[in-house]
Amino acid sequence: MAKAVGLFRVVPKKRNLELLMLLFGFGLYAFELSQVQLATIQILREDAWFIWSLPVVAASVFHIVLRLRASDADPIILPIGFLLNTLGITMIYRLDLVKSATDADRAVGERQVVWTVIAILLAALVLWLVRSHLTFRKYIYSSMALGVILLVLPLLPVIGNPTSGAYLSVRLGPVSFQPGELAKIAFIIFFAGYLTSRREALAVVGRKVFGIRIPPARELGPIVVIWLASLGVLVLQRDLGTSLLYFGLFLVLLYVATGRTFYVLVGLVMFVAGALIASRLMSYVGNRVSAWLDPLSEANYEAIGGSYQLVQSMFGLAHGGLFGTGLGGGLPSIVPLAESDFIISAIGEELGLVGIFALLSLYMVLVARALRIANAHADDFSKLLAVGLGFVIALQCFIVIGGVLRVVPLTGLTTPLMAAGGSSLVANWIIIALLLRLSDTLPKPGTVGE
Amino acid sequence: MSELALFIVRAGFLIILWLFVLSIISIIRADLFSERVLSKVVENNLPTSVSSPTTGITSVGNFSAAPGSATIVSAMSETPATLVVIDGPLQGLELVLDRKEIRIGRAPNNEFVIEDDYASSQHARLQRTDDGWLLQDLNSTNGTYVDGARIGAPVPIKQDMQVRIGKTIFELRG
Repeated sequence: MAKAVGLFRVVPKKRNLELLMLLFGFGLYAFELSQVQLATIQILREDAWFIWSLPVVAASVFHIVLRLRASDADPIILPIGFLLNTLGITMIYRLDLVKSATDADRAVGERQVVWTVIAILLAALVLWLVRSHLTFRKYIYSSMALGVILLVLPLLPVIGNPTSGAYLSVRLGPVSFQPGELAKIAFIIFFAGYLTSRREALAVVGRKVFGIRIPPARELGPIVVIWLASLGVLVLQRDLGTSLLYFGLFLVLLYVATGRTFYVLVGLVMFVAGALIASRLMSYVGNRVSAWLDPLSEANYEAIGGSYQLVQSMFGLAHGGLFGTGLGGGLPSIVPLAESDFIISAIGEELGLVGIFALLSLYMVLVARALRIANAHADDFSKLLAVGLGFVIALQCFIVIGGVLRVVPLTGLTTPLMAAGGSSLVANWIIIALLLRLSDTLPKPGTVGE
Repeated sequence: MSELALFIVRAGFLIILWLFVLSIISIIRADLFSERVLSKVVENNLPTSVSSPTTGITSVGNFSAAPGSATIVSAMSETPATLVVIDGPLQGLELVLDRKEIRIGRAPNNEFVIEDDYASSQHARLQRTDDGWLLQDLNSTNGTYVDGARIGAPVPIKQDMQVRIGKTIFELRG
């Protein structure tokens, strides 16, 4: 009987924990917004109310959907997603507040709020409609086709919309969207499904040379195809980050499926070789590499597409130091693109090393949860899907945060859930919804019957 | 705002942010800990698994050993009472069919767990009816075969009919 009462039926303790952490997140978000307003414009304005309440309502809706449709899902994924997303909004809104009155675009924060609501509600819809992730097994090749179509869309003449040399977005009327972000999810489903069926052949066959098992040449076919495809993205769309993301994702899943280091080694060698050739042939890749190796040299600093942005961000991070200048206390707005690619440098300046570590540990926990979900699933497809969804977040973090912090050459990618950009938010929230779905359908130990 | 108030707000925000991270981590810790306890309880309550003469496969849970339940079984004379694996990695394994439904598949929540890449996680189901056992394929990827033919609809299984799932072949005996 109790089951019929909807919201009030018996739900696992997990949902109440999630609610508790969400309330914590709501409070922290209110704290951030008021601190930012007091520090930059010295008064509390009522527009903070709009910026606070919309994401809070959307997250509450998502929580209720979880109670109704996935009551056994992981309790910490949604609060982490909410916290990262809203800290991003706070920072973007804060950058808007200090823009001069002549600045054409002072509503990036408000747009981000609207996109957040759209993204969370879409993710809730995905969770509501997809009752089992195993449904995707039927659409492996369709999802590959969908992914390719989404990748090619920005290259088409009428709707394509090149920005700063890269062909990434599609413009339909006033709304511009990056379909490549959604292609990530389609490719994860394809890779997981494809590797589930080819796992045995790729893992077992081959002879041993120096203790490493080398597969027969024809089994290398797919890895060559993906390599060519990612180089194609690099050349045609002029986007190093996306190309690295897809290839890295494929290598990770190939390694997880087969357990063979050989593929990782070959893959890395192939990618580095491809990127080296590209850096010779295409100036924008070469610029990135020299800006990474020697950002402080005058030639790189003065060059167009050189290291100016990177150096400004380094100064910002140094200004922040260990504990930061406090939200609203720094000058992150002098770094170009501080609200999208360089949001981590804005955070680092205002929250310091201590704050960056807090964010990185949240990302780490999120990825670790995905790996744990993968480990607990019994079938290969679910395992690979969960690893893929987790690693796409990890790789994005590595590529973009590593780029800003000069671990790897800087490439344009969005910091998951934080950076300004609607399509990236939608894609990452759908990834979160799928992870929650995967954690809800775990086989439960010791249970008998339905 | 005064210097001191500013400092308190700045430090306060970082402290609260870290409190959030630490409470997330404590949830994970509690989760891991309770799970370990749970799996121990489950382990202790499980009847000792069927001993397989060839290999030390441990994943066959939820079954009582043959001698223990032999009395209940012999009361039902007509219906086959044991499942014998005649080929595959579990060859030689005997299971006593002492319940109404035996679920077969790769997931650990099945009564008969087949560790085989060609078996689906929920592969098939044996159901006891008044006329004997009924085998139903649960939309598995690689199918369930009875005497060499892939089954679609549920099939009654008589003694000595060979059922194949993945690399495992078994039959029911009296």
